[in-house]
Amino acid sequence: MKRQAGFSLIEVLAAVLILTVVILTTIAVFTERQNRLRTANETVLTYQALANEAEVRRRDPFAQLETQPPAFVTDTSLLRPLGPFTTAVTVVAKSAVRKDVTLSIRWGNGKRSAALVLIRTDAGGGANLW
Amino acid sequence: MVTRERGYTLMEIVVAMAIFGIFLFMIILMTAELDANRKRNPVNFMTHPQVSAVVSRLRRDVEDSQSYPSDVDKYEQGPKTLIVEVLAEDGTLEKIVWDFTKAGQVHRLTFRVGALTSQWDAYGLPDFGAQVDAYPIAGQYATRIQAVDEKGQLAIDQLFTPRKH
Repeated sequence: MKRQAGFSLIEVLAAVLILTVVILTTIAVFTERQNRLRTANETVLTYQALANEAEVRRRDPFAQLETQPPAFVTDTSLLRPLGPFTTAVTVVAKSAVRKDVTLSIRWGNGKRSAALVLIRTDAGGGANLW
Repeated sequence: MVTRERGYTLMEIVVAMAIFGIFLFMIILMTAELDANRKRNPVNFMTHPQVSAVVSRLRRDVEDSQSYPSDVDKYEQGPKTLIVEVLAEDGTLEKIVWDFTKAGQVHRLTFRVGALTSQWDAYGLPDFGAQVDAYPIAGQYATRIQAVDEKGQLAIDQLFTPRKH
């Protein structure tokens, strides 16, 4: 009986192993790239919303900061691609003339967040700029 | 004498098809994910840096502005045309026109004493618009810049307020 030549089991296993490593690496690189791109785009969107809210909150009178709404007052429809999200505004008085206003957005089931802190000082009743 | 032709066995073909199927499945998965991301985000800011370039220049112009003139040259203040007046480095007043009238294009023109002194153009952009009286607080307004992509999705929504000089 004539024996036909072919690949040995070891050769086939080695080939399959190399193929698997190449495929898995490709998938991992692709997935990581997608995640980073999505994160970068989400960050751009959230910082637009944070900057918008900051533009409004920085004009609120210093004495009335604590009585302002605890969520964003600006239009947040830009954040729709993020899916469900929440916004919050907290005010902490650091001294008689300084209050820290923290603007924050949470999304991705609360796992992702972005925040911006405005340091407000008492400008003597006038429009408070930076 | 009958010669038997050599070929692939059924098992070899099945294995080859299975491997091919796995590759095909992976490619479809990757493409679907790409497509889903593209649909979710209105503008891919990482691959369209010109959007950020427009917003950065706009921000500086609005923050530096002294007033919003009603018109300059053939341009009039409106939802598709933003006109601001700024103090140039040499101390003279300069009027800057942001022309959003052409879809996908943004033109920034500067005028001194009624004469055009420079022009900057950007193409391949979402459709921009401006509102100069947004979110009034104690008589001070923000300028709202919005842009929607070709599918009508909001891509840019930015508030800028003139700073004290």
